[in-house]
Parts: sequence; structure tokens; C-alpha cells
Amino acid sequence: MRKRKIWSVLLSVLLTAGLISGCGSNTGEDGAGSSGKTTINFFCWTEYMPQEVLDKFEDETGIHVNMSTYSSNEDMLAKVKSEVEGTYDVIVPSDYMIEQMASQGMLEELDHDALPNMSNIGSAYLSPSYDPGNRYSVPYQGGVAAIAVDTSKVNVDITSYDDLFDPALKGSIVALDDYRAVIGLTARSMGYSMNETNPDTLAEIEAKLLTLKDNIKLYDSDSPKSALISGDCTIGFCWGAEIALTMDEDSNYKIVYPSEGAYLFMDNLAIPKGSTHYDEAMQFINFILDPENSKMISEEFPYLNPNVKAIELLGDEFAGNEAKNPPQEVIAAGEYVTNLDPDTIAIYDEMWTKLKQ
Amino acid sequence: MEDRHRMHNFRSNTLPAIVMVGPVTLFMVLLVAVPLIYVAVMSFCSIDDNYNVVFQFTWKNYVRLANADYMKIYGQSLLIALITTVLSLLIGYPFAYIISRSDSRWKKLLYMLVIIPFWTNSLIRIYGWRTFLGSNGWLNTALQALHIVKEPVEFLFQRGTTVLGMVYCLIPFMILPLYTAIEKVDGSLLEASSDLGARRIITFFRIVIPLTASGIFSGCLMVFIPCLGYFFVSEILGGGNSDVIGNLIERQFQSGNNWPLGAALSIILIVVTLVLVKLFQKAGGNMEDLGM
Amino acid sequence: MRMKRRKRTVLTRIRDVLFCAIIYLFLFLPISVIVVNSMNATTSKPYLAWKGFTLAWYVRLFDNTELLGSFRNTMIIAVVSTLLSTIIGTMGAVGMYKYKFKGKSIIDGLLYIPVVIPEIVLGISLLTIFSKVNIPRGMLTLILAHVTFSIPFVIFNVRARLAGYDNSIDEASMDLGANRIQTFFHVTLPVLAPGIAGGALLAFTLSIDDIIISYFVNGQVKTYPLRVMESIKSGVAPDVNALSTLILIATIVFVVLTQSGILNKNKKR
Repeated sequence: MRKRKIWSVLLSVLLTAGLISGCGSNTGEDGAGSSGKTTINFFCWTEYMPQEVLDKFEDETGIHVNMSTYSSNEDMLAKVKSEVEGTYDVIVPSDYMIEQMASQGMLEELDHDALPNMSNIGSAYLSPSYDPGNRYSVPYQGGVAAIAVDTSKVNVDITSYDDLFDPALKGSIVALDDYRAVIGLTARSMGYSMNETNPDTLAEIEAKLLTLKDNIKLYDSDSPKSALISGDCTIGFCWGAEIALTMDEDSNYKIVYPSEGAYLFMDNLAIPKGSTHYDEAMQFINFILDPENSKMISEEFPYLNPNVKAIELLGDEFAGNEAKNPPQEVIAAGEYVTNLDPDTIAIYDEMWTKLKQ
Repeated sequence: MEDRHRMHNFRSNTLPAIVMVGPVTLFMVLLVAVPLIYVAVMSFCSIDDNYNVVFQFTWKNYVRLANADYMKIYGQSLLIALITTVLSLLIGYPFAYIISRSDSRWKKLLYMLVIIPFWTNSLIRIYGWRTFLGSNGWLNTALQALHIVKEPVEFLFQRGTTVLGMVYCLIPFMILPLYTAIEKVDGSLLEASSDLGARRIITFFRIVIPLTASGIFSGCLMVFIPCLGYFFVSEILGGGNSDVIGNLIERQFQSGNNWPLGAALSIILIVVTLVLVKLFQKAGGNMEDLGM
Repeated sequence: MRMKRRKRTVLTRIRDVLFCAIIYLFLFLPISVIVVNSMNATTSKPYLAWKGFTLAWYVRLFDNTELLGSFRNTMIIAVVSTLLSTIIGTMGAVGMYKYKFKGKSIIDGLLYIPVVIPEIVLGISLLTIFSKVNIPRGMLTLILAHVTFSIPFVIFNVRARLAGYDNSIDEASMDLGANRIQTFFHVTLPVLAPGIAGGALLAFTLSIDDIIISYFVNGQVKTYPLRVMESIKSGVAPDVNALSTLILIATIVFVVLTQSGILNKNKKR
């Protein structure tokens, strides 16, 4: 009789499970969803694309966008490489990663005729050195990795990356979980480039990097603003918009652009090789370049927006906000990350392992 | 009659055996053995400029992993696992003892209450700890309201927080085998020995502990080993400051883009596991207990 | 003397109850955080500050198709992988018990691997092999992975029942004219039922909460735990907490029903 009971229990588990699973309507699976819609797979940074924009695109075109997120360029590369070719339709690599992926033949060339909205992008942002003629990519958003400071709790005057090494800041920093950014910060604080390859210089950088260990309380690339707003950390080394959003929530925070010149980045929309929905992907990219849509994105994630028409729509409040729209001299003083050879990458990786142990 | 029987066995044992055991063999060979062998092979490979795996024999990965910095992380990981195991045992044993010896009306309920939390997603429960322990979390708010502390206490993002999360995630794997083992011990045996004047503590160590040794061994093994790999606990609660071996592997397969190095790390983890399993068997543990 | 002893038992009882209460508090504390946060009126990330009470998230939850879809995926995977692993595992356990064949000890050894090895190792090994043979990651690979790590648990549970199983019953059945299939379904299976059910329940439980292995083989399909993992990155929204609370309530109702005997009316028969 005991077994009868167990069977009935098991049966009811399966039935309930079946019932509950009937509730969801969207599987988010590859290819067609339950309603026979075309689905494109969009692979984007965390906290970088509002769901409303994707919903609007679906309303207008009937194409469903299935978004997955990543935390670093390297994460994205690993995932794209390990998946079957053609899995992803649109990705958002940074400057140096565009160059690297293009050189490996991992990107599709863009059909400029299908991108009339490209005219909305400011000329200063077109044809960048990492992708001359925008063969493979269209600029999406960019900015700097700057410093957020809670002025009500931090007594140290912070003006530079170098100030972050002050022992008085023990256990108060949330830093990007990104080895190029954190090692780059250390290099710049010593007057070196973020792209040093000389082993002796790197040994020097490593020695200083390790002194940062005690000051970093948390590594978070996805949403460092969470730890800043919640008060778990009082200083942040993070992407510009994360700081801007923190300042919106908590007026005690201010943004500091480091005097050494900041880490710069520009993220771009691109289509990986073999995409099975090339036309829909182009349609999606063109949609994002529309000023109204770009404005929606900037309102939720206020990064440096290369879409000048969108900036006009956003008005003076946005354009004049130092955190949301970094001043030209900050951009001029900054430095982009470039690709490194595998031996140097191995040294960087070792430095990172030491820092995080 | 005898003949027919033998014929029966002889004629048709091969086919049923294949039908019955074939599927499980396929799964275990194709999805356990082959992948692990492939990982072992990969651990001796290297990568090219574009992070692709190059199948050319090298010791390089292991040499890299033998350096002192990696050693420190293995040490840290083993330490976290050890502390987690000891804590789980110290908390779990008396707990399992009490509930398995409780009134039979309550026993079922008390047992289910251990399991229920684990049907809620474990990530969101870990995140619950983060909310609870944060600078402006429930605990700090309470402590400040009661004037016990002035400034928020830093609970989060330390090695201790990682251990807390590990204990929380893994303690049922300690409690449940202990419960089973203790329940099997004959209650009258305990009463008899204490009636004979044996001091309770002595009874406990001389009789109860040896009788429940199998539960202790499998509980410890089932807590210690997963602890080495639970990268998400140290990520969410440790803030990236108390990595375990699992974090190293995950990093090489994601942002590190160095699969051979990650494969070599996995092999190291497998070796550690094998050593522990051997110890477990030496100590008299029964492998079948682990899967229950 | 007797008085003293009784006093001591009362004291130890109080101590025991207190100790257990603390442990249960420890186990349920994060769950209370989830339940409370599911009723938080906050709408701004990271959804930590308390902005008043609301039940609105329990309604809004049903507009979140991504979240519901992920839960549906988890359920499909759990049900399918439980059924498959239970069938394959039960057949395997019986087959390995009854027949002798070459390589049996190897399969036996392989079965322990998914049980003892850290999940991450199984996860990355499946990732590398799927990537090598170029199988698209998705539902199929998730189900294959879940079946793989569930099979051993089913087998060990069934085996525990087989330990006391007398092979001569089968022979008797066949001597009476039943064929192998009839014997299996009418004689062998009923004896093993509790072990099979226990194994299936374990497989189901492991599948719905699997994070590490799914994390490496999911492709574009998001399971509920992976969706939670993604939402943790930017602060867990109250609707995720609301869904978790609903699941918790369903679990408790289920346990209460099964334990209180509503589902086992046949007990006395």
C-alpha cells in the first residue's frame, strides 16, 4: 500500500509540473517561438539594452528578440566561439574586440544600403581606426571607466586613478570584474599605457596592482551601481552610465574623471559570421539607430551616445550632464584598449589570478 | 524440464541484456567517459593566437598551474571546503540526532522542514543572504536600531561569508545521511548503556558515533567535494575575493578563453576527488550510500 | 534522584528545541527575505530599499513572458529528463542485477562519477564534447545533460530494493507461462516501485534546481535558475521573488497534502 501512495505522489508531481508549465507562453528557443514568429538571438552586455526597446521592435516588425547577456568582451567571445556557427545574430563587442573578431573572420560585412539610419551617427564616431569604413560594425554606445565617490562617507580627496591606491580606502571599492580595465587602471596610474607588453614594466605594474587588493571589496562588471546604492561600497571604478544612474538615485555620489586620462571604450553592433537571420539582424540594427529608439536606450542606460540626432532629442539636461555625456577633453585624454599577443595575455591572466586569490 | 529451462536462458539472455543495459551504457560511455577523456586530452593541448585549441602535446598547462599563486587558491579552496564540512558536521549531527529521536508524530514534519527550503531556487536564496547581510540590510538595520553598533558591520564579501553560503547550500547533504544513519541505531541500545551508568558523553562517543560512522563519512564527502566547485556562492557572497577551484575553471572557459588550462584545472579537481573517495572507502564508507 | 533526572530531561528538551529552532531559522531566513521582497513596492534597481507594501508584482509577474517562459523550460526539462532517466535507470539496474556481461564493472564505476565529481567538471566536459561534435546547445543538450546526471541516482535507489530481490520469483513466473515482458511488468516492477519513485523524485529535484551544469550547456534556452542568475547581476526584481514565493507555496501545499493523508486514502486497505 506504501507503493501505491508513492506512485500517486509522483503522478501528482508530474501532473502539477505539466499544468504549471502550460502557463508560460514563450519558450525563448532557437528559431521560431510558439506563435511561429521569427526570433533573432541578441547577445548584449548586462544592463545595456532595455527590454521595452526589444518589445517595441517586436510590435513593429513581428520579429522576436531573444536577449542573453554577458559581462565582458572575453565572455562574449568564448560563448560565440563555443556555440555552433550562426547561433547569434547580433552582438555588441567593444572597439578592440571588433578588430580581433574581424581579423579572425568572425564577423559578417554590413550592407550599408540596409542602414539608412546610419546618417544619425556623428561623423566623429564613423570609420574608427579599429574598423575603417565601418565594414563590420556600427557604434552603439561608449564612454569611460571612471570613478564614483560617495562624498558623504569618503574623506579622501580623489582626483585620479592613483588615489584609489590610498590605504585609507581599505575595503570600500567596487571594481569592474574585467582584467584589462583593472590592470589598465594601474598602468595609467603609473603613467604607463593600458597596453604595455614589456615584461619588466608589467612586473612593476603587478607590484602596484597587488596593493589594490585590500581596497577592493567587490568585483562586479554587471551592475556595480547596486553595491554603491545599497551602501555596501562607497567608491566605484565602473562604467560611466552606472555612475550616472547611481547619482540619480543618491545625490551624495559624484563622478571623478581621473587626471591620468581614463579607460575609453566604444561598443558596436555587429553580426557574427554565419548568422541565420542576417536580414532581420540588419533590420534590428537600423531600428536601434533610429533617434527615438536610441533616446529610449539612453534614458535607461545613459552612456556616451554617438547618435547625434538622439542627443538632440534628449535635450540639454542630458547633453549638459557631465556623467551621462562625458566632456570632449575627457575623451581626448583617454586611451583605448588594444589587442595583445597570447604571451602577454598569459602574463595579464597571471596578474589577475594573483589579485583575486 | 531442466533442458527447457537451460535453453530458455541460453537462447535469449543476450538480447534482453542489451535492451536493458544498452541505454545506460550509451549514456555513461558517450556522456561521461568520452567527455572526461576528451578533457584529459585537452589538458595537454595549447591555444593559438585566436584562442583556438591546438592539439599538440605540451606540459605547459600543468607547469603553469604548479606555480605558487595557483597553489594558494587550491589551499584557500580546500580550507573553505574543510571549514564548511566541519561546521556542517558540528551543526548537522546534533540536529539530525534530535530530529531522528523526536516523537514520531513530529518526526516527518521536522524532516520535511529540512527539505522544503531546497525546493526553492538556491541562487535566489543565496541572494537572500546578500540582502540580509548588506550594509543597509536587515541585520545591520536591526543592530543599529537596537544601538548595538553605530556603523554598519561589514558582513559581506569576505571568506567567512562564502563559508556561510556554502554551509547553507550543502548542509542538507550532511543532515540527510546522518538522519538515516542515526535512525537505524536501536534506541534501546542507548537507554541500556546509560542505565548501566555509562556517562552520556561516553555512550555517545563509544556507541553512537561508531554506529553512525557511515552517515558521517558520506555526509562529509557530499559536502566537501561540491564545495570545491560551487563558484556561484563565492561570486555572489564572496564578491570575487575568496575564489574556489570552480571559479578558476569557470573563468578559463569563459573570459579566460583558455580551454586547455581550464581542462588541466578540471583534471586537478578530479584527482583531488579521487583521493578523497579513496580515503572515504578506506574509512569504510559505502559508495552506494552517496546516491540516496 | 528521580526528581533530578526529570529536571534534567526537561532542561535538555528545552535546549534541544532551542537548538533546532535556531537551525530552522537559519534554513528559512533567506526565504523570508524572498517572501518579503516579493511584496516590496519599489520599482528602481537594485530593488533593495523598502518602498511600501504591494501585491502588484504577483499580477505583473504574469506579463513577464521571459520569466514564465524560463520556468516553463525548467519544467519541461525536469519532466522529460525525470521520465527518461527513470526508465533508463530502472532498466539498467535490473539488467545489471540479472545478467553478467563483459565490462559490467566499468559501467558500474562510471555510474559513481556523476555522483561524486564536482558538477562543474561534468558541465565543462559536456560543453567541450558538444562543442567538438558541433551539436547546437539548447533543449536537447540540456535534457541529455540532466538525464546523464540523474541516471545514477535512479539506479542506486532501485538497486537498494533489488538487494532483497529473489531471482527465483522470475523463474517461477516464467515457468508458469509468462514471457519476459509480462514478468518484468507484473512481477519485478511492483517490488521495485518504491525505489523507482524515490529515484524519480530525486531526479526531479536535482533537475529543477540545477545551475552549474545547465550554465555550460544551455545555449539560447534559459532555465529558471539561469534566468535568476541573470537577474542577480542587476538586482533581483520583485517579480522573480514573487514567482519563487508561489513555487514555495505550491511546494508546501504539496507536502502538506501528501503528509496529511489526503492523497493516501487507501492506507487502511
